[in-house]
Amino acid sequence: MRALNAELSKLFSLPGIWLAFLIGALAPAVIAALDSIVEKEDIIAGVSTRLAEIGYSGLGFGVQGVIILGVLSVSSEYLTESSESGGGQQITTSLTVVPSRPHFLMAKAGAVTVTSILLCMVAMMTTVSATHLILGEYAPAFEASRLIGVVCYWTFTALLAFGITVLTKNGIIPLTVLIINSSVISFSFLLSKITKLAFYLPDRAGIEMFMSFNDESNAIFNRFHTPFTAGLVMLVWVAVFFIVAVIVFHRRDVAA
Amino acid sequence: MSISSSKKITKILGAELDKLVSLPLIWLTLIGTFILNLVLAAAFTSAGLQGAAGTQSILNIGLASMGYLQAGFIILGISATCSEYTSGQIRTTLTVIPWRGFQLSAKHLALAVITIPAAFIIAASGILYTFMMMRDTAVGFEIDTMIETLVGATGYLTLTTLLSAAIGALLRRTTPALVMLLGYYFIISPLSRDFLPNYFPDTAGYYMYMPASNDEINVLTPMQGTGILMLWTLIFIKVAIIFYRQRDA
Amino acid sequence: MLTINNLVKHRGTDKILSGISFKARPGRVTGFLGPNGAGKSSTLRILLGLDHATSGSALINGKPFAELHNPLTTVGAALDGFGAHRMRTGRAHLRWIARAAGLSRSRVEEVLEIVGLTNAAGKRVGSYSLGMGKRLGMAAALLGDPQILVLDEPVNGLDPEGIRWIRTFLRERAQSGNTVLLSSHLMGELAETVDDVVIIHHGKVVADGTLEEVIGNHSTLEEAFFALTSEHAGDVV
Repeated sequence: MRALNAELSKLFSLPGIWLAFLIGALAPAVIAALDSIVEKEDIIAGVSTRLAEIGYSGLGFGVQGVIILGVLSVSSEYLTESSESGGGQQITTSLTVVPSRPHFLMAKAGAVTVTSILLCMVAMMTTVSATHLILGEYAPAFEASRLIGVVCYWTFTALLAFGITVLTKNGIIPLTVLIINSSVISFSFLLSKITKLAFYLPDRAGIEMFMSFNDESNAIFNRFHTPFTAGLVMLVWVAVFFIVAVIVFHRRDVAA
Repeated sequence: MSISSSKKITKILGAELDKLVSLPLIWLTLIGTFILNLVLAAAFTSAGLQGAAGTQSILNIGLASMGYLQAGFIILGISATCSEYTSGQIRTTLTVIPWRGFQLSAKHLALAVITIPAAFIIAASGILYTFMMMRDTAVGFEIDTMIETLVGATGYLTLTTLLSAAIGALLRRTTPALVMLLGYYFIISPLSRDFLPNYFPDTAGYYMYMPASNDEINVLTPMQGTGILMLWTLIFIKVAIIFYRQRDA
Repeated sequence: MLTINNLVKHRGTDKILSGISFKARPGRVTGFLGPNGAGKSSTLRILLGLDHATSGSALINGKPFAELHNPLTTVGAALDGFGAHRMRTGRAHLRWIARAAGLSRSRVEEVLEIVGLTNAAGKRVGSYSLGMGKRLGMAAALLGDPQILVLDEPVNGLDPEGIRWIRTFLRERAQSGNTVLLSSHLMGELAETVDDVVIIHHGKVVADGTLEEVIGNHSTLEEAFFALTSEHAGDVV
């Protein structure tokens, strides 16, 4: 518990963390607001085909915020990008304070989880307010089950970012891969044109926890998993990455 | 005076090239981008082969990976300038080369020297792969068009790299620079493409390598696209130099 | 000759330096002392053109650093920290510096030999110990065989052998007519190396003179330092 508190205070004092909070809390609302403005006439006329997605697509992109959170929480331990530091890495200090490495990782993952859930709740509040502000009585109702799906998607993505960064020790690769993959032209989307196996990739599966895919014209937009199995698929990915990360981290010399 | 200052520029350029070449991250990024591009070209080709045969142009499929490819060059640009701020190397740099405007310009020039051949090879390899896989099924192309397209793609990737380097020099930290650039190129820009005019670096630069289809409105010629992207790049480099000269290292 | 003239530096509302003036003369080793946060590094950074002064000047042979024609052969500087990217090898680091100043690659091998890093030159800087990083910094400073050396905490992290080497090396440099300015807070070490001493405290010079003058009635340099920099000694100059 003390280790978790320490990790939380470390996380909140990170120099780049404001970016994660800013993107996570505001981006979904901005995208939802833009969506609402564009679709407003259709929605009021009752002909909008995208009513069910308003808000959720924004929340899908807002996951960027927790990606940054997950990556920074680890890469900051190894970072030496400061004009003053002579090459010292915080990880050395961290591991002398919490010598058990699995405990250290658990505490860090715990801090990332708690922060992601909180950030996601803030994001949902801003998003719901934004749609109500613009659409008024026509605003779609947000179902609890789908919102829980969003929270799971955010938390799992943050933990995935966390696990990958433990392996790479460097933020560049996980940030690039995960940011591109949460965009409209994700690798998984491309791969799903070639093989059905791509539907089992973490982001492609995870997004089905809350997105309704019902575009009949295009097979790749169709629903492949139920929200529950989608969550399960993503959880398995997170678990695999986390276990590998713990094993690698346990064996690795800090200086290596 | 002019002889000595041109000598000085050659020396600084040489030093900046040495710096880039001796940084493993630069090579890893280039090699990684090359391999990834081939994988993507294979994926797009296979998706293209499954699609309606005979309707797609090899050039279009071969360049479909450009969208992803630019990520590698964004990383390249950012690493080139942000690497100065690792372990205080910037202090060594500025005690050796105290002329800040010169130094940062030389760095961008050195980066361009490395990026141009790399971008050309990487873009060409994607098209070559697609050509070999699809020459029987897809619509062929003129050799002139291919050269124009390749030159355009190389120019686009190089200018994108320089733009990223300027942003990196402004922000001085890899993570925020990477998040901002990737966020713009991969999230904000695709989402706002329908609302905004195509005068932004990526949307204008797109016309440098993509032959415009006739049904689009507001199309730019490749030269207009190049001009706009170049203007953006020069503005950002200029702003980066202004900040670089004013602030404490 | 280094001339610091009424140097003032503000950072936001913090006053880092409030009017520092002193000189470092050729043929002498000048020690620059002060507690942590007194403004030593800021002064050296302004001298080297890294930071901008709010007012006042820091001149090298009468010119600001950025106006020097070939800075590397005029001033050799080693500041705190490695000053080199962790992923580069030590040799590659020195080579790009040599390239910038138009020096030959054989000079790189010479300085590696001088500081005793020849065997580690092919390793990445990230794997260096603190002492090896210091040696690399010294190598970079010596590359252009400059008349002036500016060193921030040169003995920090060095082993006893390295400390002795620095001491004799700096004395030799000064005796052959060069200017050496070094900052440190190792009093005992400094007392055996320097000719002149400048002590600053809270961004002001509290003592400036030869080693004997600064020690004055105190038994050692350390005693003098504490007398000058303790909180109630603001009026002692």
